[in-house]
Amino acid sequence: MEYDENGVSIVSNDFKKEIFEEAKKDFRYEEYVKGCLNCGVCTGGCPPHRFFDFSPRMVLQNCKSNDPALVWGMMDEYVWACFQCFTCAMICPFLNNPGGVIAILREISVRRGFESAKKVLKPYSRVLLKLTAYGNQLSPDMIQPDFFPDWGPHIGYASEDLPLKRKAIPMPTLQVTNLAWDVAPEAMKELYTIFDEAGVFKIIEVVDPSLYEIIQDIVDDVRSE
Amino acid sequence: MAIEIRNRLGLADVKSDFMHIAGRKIENIHNELLELEAKGELKVIHITDEHKPIEAETLFGWKKKIPTTKLWHHKSCGQCGNIPGYPVSLLWFMNKFGTEYIDEKNQTSCTAWNYHGSATSNPVGLAAVAVRNWHRSYELGLFPLIHCATSFGDYKEMRNLLVENKELRDEVRRIMHKIGRDLVIPEEIVHYSEWVHVMRFEIAKLRKYDLSSIITTVHPACHCYKMIPEDCIYDKDIYAGKRTAVSTGVALALGAQVADYSTWYDCCGFGFRHILTEREASRSFVMDRKIRPMVREANSDVCITQDTGCTTTLDKNQWIGKAMGYTEQVPVMADVMFAALACGADVYKIVQLQWHTTDWRPLCEKMGIDWKKSEEEYNAYLEKLRAGEKPENLYEYA
Repeated sequence: MEYDENGVSIVSNDFKKEIFEEAKKDFRYEEYVKGCLNCGVCTGGCPPHRFFDFSPRMVLQNCKSNDPALVWGMMDEYVWACFQCFTCAMICPFLNNPGGVIAILREISVRRGFESAKKVLKPYSRVLLKLTAYGNQLSPDMIQPDFFPDWGPHIGYASEDLPLKRKAIPMPTLQVTNLAWDVAPEAMKELYTIFDEAGVFKIIEVVDPSLYEIIQDIVDDVRSE
Repeated sequence: MAIEIRNRLGLADVKSDFMHIAGRKIENIHNELLELEAKGELKVIHITDEHKPIEAETLFGWKKKIPTTKLWHHKSCGQCGNIPGYPVSLLWFMNKFGTEYIDEKNQTSCTAWNYHGSATSNPVGLAAVAVRNWHRSYELGLFPLIHCATSFGDYKEMRNLLVENKELRDEVRRIMHKIGRDLVIPEEIVHYSEWVHVMRFEIAKLRKYDLSSIITTVHPACHCYKMIPEDCIYDKDIYAGKRTAVSTGVALALGAQVADYSTWYDCCGFGFRHILTEREASRSFVMDRKIRPMVREANSDVCITQDTGCTTTLDKNQWIGKAMGYTEQVPVMADVMFAALACGADVYKIVQLQWHTTDWRPLCEKMGIDWKKSEEEYNAYLEKLRAGEKPENLYEYA
């Protein structure tokens, strides 16, 4: 993949148009993109705007421009700056939802397996594995000092004698270390069916094939129990 | 009838089932939900007298029924995995009030944290997971109480999308039938903080410590009040209805001071993806936009939260601030944890502050809580468990 001086991948105009049309076909698009006064209230309140080259006003303006090249320009790293806090949607006088548009564009990015999505999501694989294979997003044994050194020395508390400390939590469902709560196998199996039918597993296969194989091994094991 | 409102951040002084904003009609979704039920399109988990509901007002003055008993706890990954005192404090209060509830293993994550962080799902997947968990509650004859604000925001959004889109309903119904379930939607999507809010005066009756000298600063969760804002509780007696009432309401009922600060509306910096894989953004946001204003402007003793991600982000990212010369620190805990502390819940066994990173001991001392005694008793309890004794649980798991 080649990139231009702004770090945006170079593709044909037809492909850019195809991506923009895919976004516009999403059943949420019209609900999220209405008239834009260009007032900038959304960007003024946008938390990541303070730290990144990211502006929800530009997201809306690019969509309203109807120029596929401008929308394509956001598909690489730009869309991944959004915090998904929906401050923009809350304060927009015209009820636009730039954060919702970002979600649609991100979905396309991972569904299509764009390199930028693969790169951004690579460090995220541990979470994806936990969620899709076991039905929980975060577990106590993931809070390790070597993974969160910036959280300070006390973070080691969570990794020392963990089974005993978890046993001392007075909710029986929480007395495990490898899951946030002990998810029943029947719930996991139902989740797998949902992921199969909704195309979630397929998305993961596109964006991270090796992770997909690991997940499927676990899924097969749970399903055969 | 078109009704003009001042802005979406303030409580409208009107009563109507719909609003016109920017030429668009915003309707109370419940009417349409009940119409779909009448047509046999879906089933509704109704809030009945059995649930002993208490009414609250939402942004536009619409009534929201909050069930106070016969509840199904829909847990939060981040709370259970990382802030266990969060759900424990809630259940501790429910035991005090004799609330009927079930906490069980037959539930999955809402998967919305993952969606907002990685986009590796879609509306069909999110809605199907939501309905799957709602249906589990429905078949037990209980009402789902949503612990996590991410789940709360996602479930409100999924409910609205399901009500508004037949294609989505048909697809989710098809998937539900594959797993032996049906399309059900709760009459209300209820967050635990709303339960705490409507129960705040009962909670205040249990207060053990004088909180009049405690200065709190409240961080409202984005996915509570910015997603589907018309479904969020406001109260004319709390910030004059200009901000969401939950969390602030219980702090005030307990007699604590609630101080204002200039960045109250900002998010916490969690970012869903950033907290895990781009943490320098989260760290900077926490210190610059939340903790420093809370301490410098309000001299805050404690930051009160109403969500999983916010509690984690604001608590864990203060230590590293010292590297940049930031000396401001403030303990962080959820509204229900602060309330439990105020009502005499054990610091270690119930509120479980030992998992928190930012020092909470000065707060306990200011409240008059003997945390050292609690620590000693907890350590002794751990030794008993190590020796093979059974844990003291809040309920027996069947």
